[in-house]
Amino acid sequence: MSEPLIRLEGVGRTFRSGEVEVNALREADLAIDRGDYLSIMGPSGSGKSTLLNITALLDRHTSGTYRFEGRDVGRLSEGERTGLRAHRIGFVFQAFHLLTHRTVLENVVLSMLYGSVPRSDRKARAAGALERVGLSDRAGFLPSRLSGGERQRVAIARAIVTRPPILLCDEPTGSLDSTTSRSILELFEELRSDGLTIVVVTHDQMVSSRAERTIAMHDGRVTQDTRA
Amino acid sequence: MKRRARRARGKRSAAMSRIPRSRFRVLDLVTESLAGLFARPGRSLLTALGAVLGIAALVATLGVANTAGNQIVSTFDELSATSVVLTTDQGFSGANTRIALPWDSEQRLTRLNGVVAAGSMADVGLGNALVRSVPIIDPLGQTEFQIPMIAASPGIYPASRGKLTTGRWYDHGHSERADRVAVLGSAAAQRLNITRVDQQPVVFVGDVSFVVVGILAQVERQPELLSAIIVPEGTAREIYKLKSPSTVQIRTEVGAASLIAAQGPIAVAPDDPSTVRVQAPPEAEDLRAEVQENVNALFLILGGVSLLVGGIGIANVTLVSVLERVSEIGLRRALGAGRRHIAYQFLLESTGVGLFGGMVGTSLGVLTVVAVSAARTWTPVLNPAIPVAAPLLGAAVGLLAGLYPALRASLFEPVDSLRASAN
Ligand SMILES: Nc1ncnc2c1ncn2[C@@H]1O[C@H](COP(=O)(O)OP(=O)(O)O)[C@@H](O)[C@H]1O
Ligand SMILES: [Mg+2]
Repeated sequence: MSEPLIRLEGVGRTFRSGEVEVNALREADLAIDRGDYLSIMGPSGSGKSTLLNITALLDRHTSGTYRFEGRDVGRLSEGERTGLRAHRIGFVFQAFHLLTHRTVLENVVLSMLYGSVPRSDRKARAAGALERVGLSDRAGFLPSRLSGGERQRVAIARAIVTRPPILLCDEPTGSLDSTTSRSILELFEELRSDGLTIVVVTHDQMVSSRAERTIAMHDGRVTQDTRA
Repeated sequence: MKRRARRARGKRSAAMSRIPRSRFRVLDLVTESLAGLFARPGRSLLTALGAVLGIAALVATLGVANTAGNQIVSTFDELSATSVVLTTDQGFSGANTRIALPWDSEQRLTRLNGVVAAGSMADVGLGNALVRSVPIIDPLGQTEFQIPMIAASPGIYPASRGKLTTGRWYDHGHSERADRVAVLGSAAAQRLNITRVDQQPVVFVGDVSFVVVGILAQVERQPELLSAIIVPEGTAREIYKLKSPSTVQIRTEVGAASLIAAQGPIAVAPDDPSTVRVQAPPEAEDLRAEVQENVNALFLILGGVSLLVGGIGIANVTLVSVLERVSEIGLRRALGAGRRHIAYQFLLESTGVGLFGGMVGTSLGVLTVVAVSAARTWTPVLNPAIPVAAPLLGAAVGLLAGLYPALRASLFEPVDSLRASAN
């Protein structure tokens, strides 16, 4: 038996604000194998981001068991979780989150700052990642001079430059028009063929149709799990 | 306990590959902090302003106080700081308990290390005797004067820092032989109308004649010498039955005054030194310290307050900057920065602002000291530690000011901070 890259068993997340409790995620069971290309669909507020954030170790589940590469995440220290974020996880946001005062290259280098890549290798690695996303000629630009699609490519380059096994994307095309979205999806397919595991949260049918496997969510629950 | 836990974890990770920890190399920390500061240079400069003013005020204060204190002390050193005067106690105890200063006080004191010169002296009671410079009384003009007589040992001349207009001072030989010689103080000489001594002028004190050997132009101590007719002690003993000197003027080396003030009474009255009254200058160091304390107290408070205000300014702007950069913090956390790494970055930024402000402030402060000194033609004096310590103080203020904002920054949860700016 081979342990899946990610395994959630009965994972839940409850937000508490004063008297009010929100069960953003309830009893989620999910296994993601290495090389999977998975999309998570569902209406707004159904718990997609909550699930993705827990998977990315950006948030903590409040019930159930989550194993990342076989490790019980609930028992990891803060330092170990941070270490995994630096080395083993790539994350892409809908809002890009590029530093506006830094060049494209510097933004990509940023994600190697807290990891193990030696200083001397970082520029070359970043240039390689930019080449991979087709932005070699934009390395010296400030993000403000890039189009939305280009910005998201920079964000993807930043996420993959540390060579994590998995790329987690929260509505990566949510801010892009459909043509640009399609080119981003093509990039995902290329990355996937390099062996990267990709999880994409979306409420765009077109995006999820490109994935091999689609999870449907509703009111904090995983309601469907279909393979194309 | 802790070690065992770590070992247990070690075993677990042996079975499963160890999780590499995230790190933030010093060089990266420095570059990131500098990049943060240079991203908003105008704001960084404004932030530093508080530290600039505070440190400038402190450095200027210390420097001006240093300079002024030094100035006062150096003029003071020359005169008072080298003068010790011994007198017999003329207090309430009555004449019978009053001890006499010995005739050889001068010799005893000049043997002490640190004494440059010493001279004993005493007023000589002349009764009704008047002083005149001509043998015959001229009925047409006033030729007789009431002039005080002082008997003094030869050492009084150097000890009082006297200067002669003409002639010479008498010596121990004159005193031992009880020669009838005298030195006239400049005021006395003027009244007696004597300006030259080469013709060996004679003055009459009552019926006793004295040959004038010198005229005293000025003294820096014991100014009553200038209006007196000064005669050797031996002479006064023989003619006027003078009992003992009443005052000893000592001139010490710079810095030796307090030592001599302690040793002098023992030298002249070994049996009962406590009956000798001592007039000594305040310790030069004490005086310097006192002057500086007075100046410092006020301005240090001023500098301290401006530094405090500067620190609060840095803290405020750093906090604003933290709140503005919530999404950057979230991003860094998502990329693998630990809480510590976030805290270090903001701490180093505020420390950098403080250090920069401290350096500029130090330069301004030193310039102020130089300018003030130039305006008053003083020699600028600055403790050499200040130009080094002041920028560090600025850095320390920046560090302190950054503590709270850095703590706030480190406590953000990555999800919250990323969401906060998603729209
Ligand atoms: N920090 C939070 N505090 C309280 N409620 C939250 C918090 N984050 C998310 N929620 C709630 O949890 C539910 C799921 O949110 P989310 O996972 O962001 O949904 P989706 O990404 O599918 O739109 C929503 O009802 C949302 O309001
Ligand atoms: Mg969402």
